[in-house]
Amino acid sequence: MNFSEETLMAYADNELDSQTRSAVEAAMANDPAIARRIAQHKALRDRLKATFDKVLDEPPPQRLVDAARGVPAIRREGNVIPLRRRQAPRTAWPQWATMAATLVIGVIIGQFFLRMPTSGAPVAARNGQILANGTLAQALSDQLASTQTPDAPVKIGLTFKSKTGHYCRTFTMHASGTLAGLACRDHNDWRVQVLAQSAQGESNSTNGGASYRQAGSEMPRSVLQAVDDNISGAPLNADAEASARGARWQ
Amino acid sequence: MTGPGVNSCTDVRGMHASLDQLREQIVDLLPRLRRFARTLARDPHDADDLVQVAVERALARSEQLRPESRLSSWMFGILRNAWIDESRARGRRNRIFAPEELGENVGDASSESHAEALSLQDALARLPDEQRTAVGLVLVEGLSYKEAAEIMGVPIGTLTSRLARGRDALQSMLADTTGAMQ
Repeated sequence: MNFSEETLMAYADNELDSQTRSAVEAAMANDPAIARRIAQHKALRDRLKATFDKVLDEPPPQRLVDAARGVPAIRREGNVIPLRRRQAPRTAWPQWATMAATLVIGVIIGQFFLRMPTSGAPVAARNGQILANGTLAQALSDQLASTQTPDAPVKIGLTFKSKTGHYCRTFTMHASGTLAGLACRDHNDWRVQVLAQSAQGESNSTNGGASYRQAGSEMPRSVLQAVDDNISGAPLNADAEASARGARWQ
Repeated sequence: MTGPGVNSCTDVRGMHASLDQLREQIVDLLPRLRRFARTLARDPHDADDLVQVAVERALARSEQLRPESRLSSWMFGILRNAWIDESRARGRRNRIFAPEELGENVGDASSESHAEALSLQDALARLPDEQRTAVGLVLVEGLSYKEAAEIMGVPIGTLTSRLARGRDALQSMLADTTGAMQ
């Protein structure tokens, strides 16, 4: 029987139905030329496998693992320019570069606000948790980093999804100094994960007037650490932030 | 029937539940993505760039991954499309044949297999894209004709004829090379 080259190739690739397969095998037994051609097809396949399978033994470069896990480019080591231009930088990541100058005075959950009347305080304790309150809660729910005004009382920084699947947002605000923190959505509240005071506001005046305009770009290390500990993937870009707000951060 | 290697990898059907899971599945797929990319792009660094582009694209459009589809097939398709885009955008074919690229970056293999790997990879690089993709998917990645045809968006008959022509061309190029080296 005469078989096309494609049939012999398909035999070598184990792609034939059993009937054709048997026919080819019968032909092979009688015709060494057919057997030789199939052997060639198999040999090429084996050679290709042997050559390229070596790649499987190499640990993938960290940059690829980081790309898969969504580690932001700014923090990648050995970052290279990809073949195509990268997507626009994610919201607010570049700001991180400027925060080395920020000195963290302390993480001040709770204690800081003991002297403030509950109604006006940016945070409130409820059921053993520290929740955003008043203008802070409102800004966390309504404000977009991409559209907020420079004089907004609360500035939203990064928005991202936590490892537990909740939306989290960093913020800075001016209240008895410059405060920065991270809050994560918990049902209809914003649970404050960390709240820290930035030293810069204090160095100018206790009212912090001069440093106020910088509030949007300062992020104490303790807050950044909390972001690192909680973030899953990359921060949301402007579109994703807007649609998350549209879904009421659920 | 599928060839060897198809099931050797994390390939969860119907379980692309969360983005986090998807990310880890992609991490697990990286070795295979790199291997396939290496069959497309002659230069290992270009191949890894290609993988990075494909990973970023896949994550950006993860909602397009249907539950019933195999993650590896979906990723191979994205990688192949990225390669086509890159080839067009950068006139890569001209660079592939640039003499200074031949002989570079062939890894740390011993000198004997080094010579073989070089000639095989050079031969592969000389194939038209469509034949090289067919060879990469079926012979290197071990996909079935059906899977490879779906990834390339062609009927099985087209796939097999590309594969046959690619194989034929490789055989004759490698025969030439072997003769020249001996």
